[in-house]
Amino acid sequence: MVGEPAVYVVEGVAVPNSLDLLHDLMDRVGVDHPDVQNEDLSMLETAVIEIAGNLIEHGRPSGCVDYRLRLDVLSDRLEGLLADSGEPLPITVLDGSAPDPLSEDGRGILIAQAVLDELVYERTEHANTWRMVRRRR
Amino acid sequence: MMDIERSDIDPAMAVIRCRGRLNMVAAPALRACIEQSVDEGHTRVVVDLARTSFIDSSGLGSLIGGLKKARQAGGSLRIAEATDQVLNVLRLTNLDRVLRPHVTVEEASRGW
Repeated sequence: MVGEPAVYVVEGVAVPNSLDLLHDLMDRVGVDHPDVQNEDLSMLETAVIEIAGNLIEHGRPSGCVDYRLRLDVLSDRLEGLLADSGEPLPITVLDGSAPDPLSEDGRGILIAQAVLDELVYERTEHANTWRMVRRRR
Repeated sequence: MMDIERSDIDPAMAVIRCRGRLNMVAAPALRACIEQSVDEGHTRVVVDLARTSFIDSSGLGSLIGGLKKARQAGGSLRIAEATDQVLNVLRLTNLDRVLRPHVTVEEASRGW
């Protein structure tokens, strides 16, 4: 597997326990691709969990949103594409501005932006999609 | 999954050890553990993150909430032995200024 492009997919209903599936997927990628730097993988994992966490918390109708994560391991980058069947996300969820230092929430998008080289949200006719790119160091 | 274990070191201080992933599933349990510690008088709280493999914004929120709770009771909250991913996220959010990472639990336990 070392050095070869690979594609991983996980899908299901966006509920809190889905996060373990996503974490486990990242662990599997690390085992399959020891050539991928730990930091690159853990920073992509950080972004994926933040975006998925947002979906679980804010996706509507709550508990009934399907998601699909496709993860590509490429020679120059790691790329995640998270799509969900939920309603369009409210603009407040997309805000990546820094909260007060002692605020207990509101950092999810900020963290995802900080750990990625590219983060793009798009609303298509029936889905929200997030493209997450981490260039390999 | 995350295991959370509290050890009361003296009447004012407790060490809380978190093993696993500190995400939105685990964050409420850590928050509750810190709040209980402070409510029982252990207002100096050290959170040992040596075996915390991952943290997200919910996990950070539980630490910030715990810090505020401890401060309100006249104590504080410190973190120790954070792993690389945790240190990275703290740095990228500038929260390392609010929650300064201590190298060891022993160091974090001194000089309140």
